[in-house]
Amino acid sequence: MERSCTAEEVVEMLREEGLVDLPAGVDGDADLFAAGMDSMAVMQLIVIIEERWGVRLGAADATREVLGTPASLAARICEGK
Amino acid sequence: MKADVLIIGAGSAGLAAAVRAARAGARTILLERHGFAGGMGTASLVHTFCGLYLQDAETPQWSNPGTLAEEIGRRMELATGLGAVKSGRVWFLPQHPVEFAALADSMLREAGVEVLFHSELVALEPGWRARVACRGEGIDIEARAVVDASGDAVAASALGMGHMMSDSRSLQRPAYVCGVQGVAGEIDGLALAGWIIDGIRAGDLGTAATGMHFRASGRAGEVFATLDLAGMETGDYDPTDPRCLAALEATGREVAMAVVACLKRSAPGWEGAFISHWPARAGVRESRRWIGQALLTGEDVMAGRRFDDEVAVASWPLELRETHRGPRLRYPVGPAGIPRGALIAAGVDGLFMAGRCLSCDHEAQASIRVMGTCFATGDAAGKMAAASAG
Repeated sequence: MERSCTAEEVVEMLREEGLVDLPAGVDGDADLFAAGMDSMAVMQLIVIIEERWGVRLGAADATREVLGTPASLAARICEGK
Repeated sequence: MKADVLIIGAGSAGLAAAVRAARAGARTILLERHGFAGGMGTASLVHTFCGLYLQDAETPQWSNPGTLAEEIGRRMELATGLGAVKSGRVWFLPQHPVEFAALADSMLREAGVEVLFHSELVALEPGWRARVACRGEGIDIEARAVVDASGDAVAASALGMGHMMSDSRSLQRPAYVCGVQGVAGEIDGLALAGWIIDGIRAGDLGTAATGMHFRASGRAGEVFATLDLAGMETGDYDPTDPRCLAALEATGREVAMAVVACLKRSAPGWEGAFISHWPARAGVRESRRWIGQALLTGEDVMAGRRFDDEVAVASWPLELRETHRGPRLRYPVGPAGIPRGALIAAGVDGLFMAGRCLSCDHEAQASIRVMGTCFATGDAAGKMAAASAG
């Protein structure tokens, strides 16, 4: 499992997993909640991040600041546990 | 008993069909297995009316103005004091199952519909003769026209007629909704998701808990907990198999009990929370579908296709829930018409259908199954049935 992570990789993961409906050409600052991410998708996302990057997000990470954009997610994943 | 129009099922489609047929002057009998009308919106505690409004509009605009979809929407707004809410590209109306059951009683009484609660269709012959059972006692009903608003195409099954059913693996997954009370403060869905994940990590919850989400009911301290289920507790998901349904109901309760117990321990504001009511039944999204004189397809809905003979408008996106991992929404280019023939059975006279079991494919059903659209197709089927009986 890799620890480093980029916003592009997060976008790719979100597309592969079908968690949100991202428009083409979306960048790292896209608002994932505006794109339809809800609390159920957040739970799936946290599980997937642990599987892919070995980083365990918890209740303290369940905020818009951490989960709101591909870039903020990538930063949190790089930070690790 | 004799009637002009017999309507099977008093869910959102059957309610609208019965009110419309009776207002058109038809002697109308409405058959319902529960002790109240409303179907998914009451028995299954589904607490939002979707499909009432046009997609992408700046302000909420009725997609079926002048029909019972608008009338029920307006009456629900008055009952709850809540208006339409925009979520992403769509508008929906929060509704309360308690208000809905009472509103449905009023509308049926005002229209003069003869209501048979606690009754199930057991046999049907063209012509039409229906046998209904209430607590082991048979009742025979003669009617000139029948509307199947059962959600499960039970009339097709009773007649031994062909119908459509998606493969078990692609059927839209069921939802289990229960009422929770004693919750203090606002609902923060994101934070609750975090607490559930922590509960799974701690081994207190199974992964089925990731299908759970919450919405405030609009009443103080009351929340609806909605759990999307895989439906595969005892093998393949089959919404017409009572063994499968039994496992589904028990699993819904088991997961909900564990999640609420977990949130009581961990989530601020949830210390005094308790499950206050179970649904009468788990919410089935997709089941048998009729084969009608016309077939509405997912391509028709996505293209916003209009028909010369359309009788209602579908305005909700394709809300695909083929897994229990949340919805995948596909947005049509605009509202689509539902052709008349999709509400008329093929191969038999005087049989109409409305709601989620009308004649459409699996993809189109992902749009037309929502209650706002069911009111509109029910209204249209009630009108056609009354005309054919008159």
